[in-house]
Amino acid sequence: MKILGIDTTTKILNLAIVENSEIIIDYKINKSGQTHSAIILPALKNILNSLEITLNDISGIAVAIGPGSFTGIRIGLSTAKGLAFALSLPIIGINSLDAYTFTWQNLSGILCPLIVARKGEYYYTLYHNKDNRLVMMRDYQCKEWFEIKQELFKYKEKENIYVFGYGMKEIIEEDRMGNDKKIANLHFLKNNHNITNAANVAILGEVKFLKKQYDDIYKLMPFYISKSAAEVNREKEDGLCSKKR
Amino acid sequence: MKDVIIFGIETSCDETSVAVVKNGKYILSNIISSQMEIHKSYGGVVPEIASRKHMELIMITTKEALDKAMVTINEIDGIAVVPGPGLKGSLLVGLSFAKAVAFALDKPLIAVNHIEGHIYANFLTNQKIDTPFISLVVSGGHTSIILVEEIGQYKVVGNTRDDAAGEIYDKIAKYLGFSYPGGPVIEHIAKTGNSDAIIFPRPLINSNDFDFSFSGLKTAVIYFLMNKKDKKEEVNVNDLCASFQKAIIETIKYKTINAAKKYHISRILLGGGVAANEQLRQELTEEAKKENINVYYPPKDLCTDNAAMIACAGYYKLKRGITHSFNLEVFTEEEKGLNK
Repeated sequence: MKILGIDTTTKILNLAIVENSEIIIDYKINKSGQTHSAIILPALKNILNSLEITLNDISGIAVAIGPGSFTGIRIGLSTAKGLAFALSLPIIGINSLDAYTFTWQNLSGILCPLIVARKGEYYYTLYHNKDNRLVMMRDYQCKEWFEIKQELFKYKEKENIYVFGYGMKEIIEEDRMGNDKKIANLHFLKNNHNITNAANVAILGEVKFLKKQYDDIYKLMPFYISKSAAEVNREKEDGLCSKKR
Repeated sequence: MKDVIIFGIETSCDETSVAVVKNGKYILSNIISSQMEIHKSYGGVVPEIASRKHMELIMITTKEALDKAMVTINEIDGIAVVPGPGLKGSLLVGLSFAKAVAFALDKPLIAVNHIEGHIYANFLTNQKIDTPFISLVVSGGHTSIILVEEIGQYKVVGNTRDDAAGEIYDKIAKYLGFSYPGGPVIEHIAKTGNSDAIIFPRPLINSNDFDFSFSGLKTAVIYFLMNKKDKKEEVNVNDLCASFQKAIIETIKYKTINAAKKYHISRILLGGGVAANEQLRQELTEEAKKENINVYYPPKDLCTDNAAMIACAGYYKLKRGITHSFNLEVFTEEEKGLNK
């Protein structure tokens, strides 16, 4: 029973096929100038060919639904829906921050997965891992690094804090340069071999698949976190208007 | 002969549309999920909101189209989809979905240019239209005169240099405080107005090409209104709309018929949202008749963006062996890909 994992939430296109929690193939393309839409199906064809299997050997499709690049998420989800619909396969959406967390789930302490957003902001959440039990400490949010750091400051000199995910380059640099408010027990986990995580998406998908926790193909939607700029501006305007009143 | 069923998808702007068309002619279903109401409140189409809406609507619209046509996805012979021109984020939803379906079912994928689709709307009802013909695609996003010598071969002979004709209707309507889209409102009001009351410019009417420029006309109308307001004079809105419409229709009419005459073509095919304008249809037909040119136009509901026209164009392209590979990209520019 093979599960296809799709992650197009960053600028890296990542596909993986997983069976019994084992990664059979993990395929990444980091090529600029083309949209994921142009390369995703040729890439899928390549991996099927190299494994000498066809789409009929796939039992379910797991897809990263965000947070991440809005356009990227939609390409992955539209593709996943097209495949699942045409082949009558179950579809399972996986939160991309949870997928990153899966890699580090054996570390005890505070886990902070994050993904670079726009305008210096990061999508993130916090997990507390104690005795291999992950407990969510806050909801998924999008904030600037200094705000996230302020939040993490509460835990300094307590347990270890691990920050990992996608697009950490700038915050690592900032942390190295900045001499104020160092958090000694904060660690950045860099893992160049796990910069995106379709395999994690597929593994987490497989767990849900076995429990028959499928998503409704009609209702599965991207997990944007952030509203569109137009909606945000309108809310600001509405706020001003109501204040005037 | 075996029936050929084409599944069409159109998500280039603010309508999520999916259709099933048999043999390039019979519309088994043509579902249009409009987002107009949402964008209306923003005074125009917001790209990110449109993309999000397409994502919400694509599956349900697909299901509705297949159910209404009473076919299953396995029964289709090809998938026609629009890679452009349009809004990138919107196009990507339809294109990614269409490609995945085609890939999974091992069915041909056919890319149809959005403008090409508007031309083919004519083939859905008119029994037979021979080539060559001149096509006038006129909508909120396009004003193009296209020479079609053979099915699938397009030569753009005229284009707008600035705003599209439909865009001018929308902008004038907005200025007058009418609702979006502006075309139907202005057309309705113009019916009871005197079209000779105000003389507005006919831009580029004496240029030797078939290009259009409508922004000057828009400015003239708005200046006229501002001037009247300054002088505190009453404006007969019916006369204004009728006069404005006359200027725009005369320009379109003149250029299109001249293009047909220059290339010795005896058929003109209308397409696009503005092609639903009754006055334009009537006047163009009458004027063309004097030159022995026949004018064809689609029924009104097929003038606006819809997937049936895309499926129809897809049928004719497939018949000619034109299919596309899965590395197909979206595009936003006007003319690119019309002949691909």
